[in-house]
Amino acid sequence: MTAGLKTIISLSFVLAIGFLLVILSCALFHQYLPLLVVATYVLAPLPNWICGRCANPDDFVESSGNAVVDFGRFCTGFLVLMGIALPVLLAHSAIIRWDACVMSIIGGGLIYGTIIAFSMFFEEEQEF
Amino acid sequence: MAEERLWKFRKPEWMNSATARSAGVYGAGALFSLAFFTLLDAAVWSHSSRNGSDIHIAFIDWLPLIFSSLGMLIINSIEKTRLAADSFSYSGSGVAWKARVVLFLGFASLAGGMAGGVTVLVLKYVVPGAPWPTIYMGISNVVGNGLVMLSSVVLWISQNMEDEYSYNLAL
Repeated sequence: MTAGLKTIISLSFVLAIGFLLVILSCALFHQYLPLLVVATYVLAPLPNWICGRCANPDDFVESSGNAVVDFGRFCTGFLVLMGIALPVLLAHSAIIRWDACVMSIIGGGLIYGTIIAFSMFFEEEQEF
Repeated sequence: MAEERLWKFRKPEWMNSATARSAGVYGAGALFSLAFFTLLDAAVWSHSSRNGSDIHIAFIDWLPLIFSSLGMLIINSIEKTRLAADSFSYSGSGVAWKARVVLFLGFASLAGGMAGGVTVLVLKYVVPGAPWPTIYMGISNVVGNGLVMLSSVVLWISQNMEDEYSYNLAL
C-alpha cells in the first residue's frame, strides 16, 4: 500500500484532534492527570518494537526467540488497556469528571490509532 | 499428528493461525492490566472523598494479587515441551518431573491468590457487615484475582498454539 501525501495529512490531522481532546479534558477542569494517557499510548508500541528487534520469530531451532516476542506483546496489551483504565479509575474516584474521562479516552484512542496506522503504512517498505 | 489426538473434538482451524495466537497474547496482557487496575481502582477509591467508611485498603488487600501474579509468572515461564514425559530425550534426567513440581507450585500460588482474595472479602468486609459502596473494595479483590487467572489461561492456550503453528510451517 502506498502512502501518499493525503495519508500523511489526514493522519496528522487525526493526531492533532486526539491531542486537542486530551489537552482539553485536562485544561477545562484544571486537573492535569489525564495527560498520563498520552504518555501511556506513546509508550505502548515500544515493548513490541524492542522485543521484535531482539528476537527472530522464524527461528525454529531456538524456541526462546518466540518468548521474547510474546513478552513484548503482553506488555503492549497491558499498556493499551492501561490507557483506557486510567481515566476510568480517576473518574471513579472523583479526581476527574466523567466528561473529562470520556474525552481523554477518545483522544487517546485517536492518538494510538494514528501511531498504529503510521507504522502499518511505513514499515512495509523496509521489510525486504 | 492426527494419530496422537486424544480428544473427540478437533481444534478449530482458525486457532492455529499466527493471528489468533498473537491476539491471544495481546488479550492476556489486556486482561492482566484489567486485573491490576481493578485493584488499583479500589485502592485509590478507598482514599478518595467518595469512601465514607472507616475501612481502607492496606497491604493485606494487595497480597492475594501478588501471589496470583507470582503464580502466573511461574506457570508461563515453564517450557511447555518439557512437560511431556514420553518426549524421548528429556525424560532421562528428570526434567519433566522437575517441571511438574515447579508447575504445581505455580498453580498452588495462583489458587492461593484466589483463595486469599475470597478470605479478605469475607474477613474484612462481609463479617463486619459493610454496606454496598464499601464492600466493592472486597469484591474488586476477588474479581482482580479471577482476571489474573483468566489471563494466565489465555496466555497458556495461546502459547500452546505455537507448537502446532510452527509444526505446520516447518513441514
